[in-house]
Amino acid sequence: MAAPEVFNVSQSPITSHAFNADRTRQFSMRSDQLMRWFLILFRTFALEVAVSLNTNEVQLFSRSGLDWTPTETLSEHDKIVTSIDWAPNSNRIVTASQDRNAYVWQQASDPLTGRVVWKPTLVLLRINRAATFVRWSPFEDKFAVASGARAIAVCSFDPDNNWWIAKQLKKPIRSTVLSVDWHPNNVLLAAGSADMKARVFSAYIKDVDKRPPPSVWGEKLPFNTVCGEYSSPSGGWVHSVGFSPSGDVLAFASHDSTVSVVYPGGPAIYTIRSNSLPYVSLTWTSEDSIVAAGHDCQPVLLTGGPSGWQAVGSLDDTTAPKSSVGGRGGPTGSSPVGRLNSAAFNTFRNADSRGLGSSPGGGTPLATDTELFTVHQNTITDIRAYEGAPDAVSRVSTSGVDGKLVIWNVSAVSGLGTKLKALRVG
Amino acid sequence: MAPTDVKFRKIDVDAYDEDVLLETELYDPDPRDPQQVIEETKARAAAVRSSLSKGDILGALVTILDNPPYGSNAEEAKNLTLQTVVTVLNSTKATDIPNVVRSLPPEAQDTLMKYLYKGMGMPGWGDVSGSVLLGWHEKLTEVAGTGCIVRAMTDRRMA
Repeated sequence: MAAPEVFNVSQSPITSHAFNADRTRQFSMRSDQLMRWFLILFRTFALEVAVSLNTNEVQLFSRSGLDWTPTETLSEHDKIVTSIDWAPNSNRIVTASQDRNAYVWQQASDPLTGRVVWKPTLVLLRINRAATFVRWSPFEDKFAVASGARAIAVCSFDPDNNWWIAKQLKKPIRSTVLSVDWHPNNVLLAAGSADMKARVFSAYIKDVDKRPPPSVWGEKLPFNTVCGEYSSPSGGWVHSVGFSPSGDVLAFASHDSTVSVVYPGGPAIYTIRSNSLPYVSLTWTSEDSIVAAGHDCQPVLLTGGPSGWQAVGSLDDTTAPKSSVGGRGGPTGSSPVGRLNSAAFNTFRNADSRGLGSSPGGGTPLATDTELFTVHQNTITDIRAYEGAPDAVSRVSTSGVDGKLVIWNVSAVSGLGTKLKALRVG
Repeated sequence: MAPTDVKFRKIDVDAYDEDVLLETELYDPDPRDPQQVIEETKARAAAVRSSLSKGDILGALVTILDNPPYGSNAEEAKNLTLQTVVTVLNSTKATDIPNVVRSLPPEAQDTLMKYLYKGMGMPGWGDVSGSVLLGWHEKLTEVAGTGCIVRAMTDRRMA
């Protein structure tokens, strides 16, 4: 089992993260492929990630060797940046914030210094509450901003005025919208809301979109058509929504510790009850698998199909504490300081720094009481596909309240942790 | 310095919001008629008594926890359900609890957790015994995890 790559990005929580030129599109077959390969080659050398460290700024990090170094800071927002999305092909960043604004950032050379800098463009959202979530549409000509104003702003570019204008999806949303996800056809939009509902809307914009082909969600799709409204049996805020790679299936995670999978043609809803704390973010890794993560601090793989769904296991190895360097090697791990005898060293260090006495029975001093056996030491705020085509994602990335950014192999599923073992009882 | 006037905190601000989201709009209403729900619950209570006399704890629990009453107009049926659940819980030997809990379907586990919390909120009511409830709570959490507690707290179809 390949170990996940762990990066300690900051001491503060990471609210949201987005990588550039997402590697998921590397193998997609579309026009201007040669151009695209050059871009990908070029960008692989400058792999970057944009994160919101729970402040009003967006911090860009660039990969250098095995580490991430801060490169640029995008500061235009007045309040906490809640969500970031990086369009892979057009290389534009969109950010949403509690200051009720969104900005689209584009690279341009500064007329004074000639340096390439990120320039913001204001978006006219017309919302009177915080913007909570933002996502580019698949063709990158629109984006959707969820908000606390019981509305979703669907934004498209207005070349006449050189700004982004919004059209709002309002009905029948009754509360804050917490997340959105685009259907691959660039028209349908799923939204999860604090009124306990996951909905599928049409976000058709006349001047931008071509008429979409009929799908399982409907045929005629004028703006604000509600194609479906779903909730889990025990309710709960819908924290995260996601269309499957084909767009024919919808999954959502809600605050009752469940993930529900909707087959609109069925009509069937499968609810997978978790044994642990609620998930707040999910991403499809293929047409029959989902990775969800949240307050449980570990990404969990779910698999299934039209006949049913179940939790398979955790991408995290939760059998041993992670604090010791190379802790996966042995039960006690190696000491962080040279070749010192770790057991004795840890005993004295704990006695010195924490006032802990020797452990009773002379057992090996393990992790401190507060350390979790998961890689993330706090809630995972955001999970995204990192590598592979949309229907065959091989790696996913997570960011957490513990300030860690982790890249996981989807294939590295360890058996169900003790917390999950009894998931499907009866 | 204590604030002198805190009356404003008691203003019902929702009354000024024409688009207010009401508690009852957060879940689908029970399609059954309240009268029908009470009769159903009474019939179930009788079925539970006969199961108990045969020593069938699991059967009794499954009967009473299936399709439980909910909503603001079903208080009587809810209390009767709690009373029946408590009777079953009280008449179970502590050593049998883990097996019973493990054999319950997931929906029934979630409902049982709701009634455990409802019972804990009404100490001394009827035959409610805190120690019995805590014993069940411990075993149920071992099997169904914190997820079950989260569902009991999240669900607006309150017991």
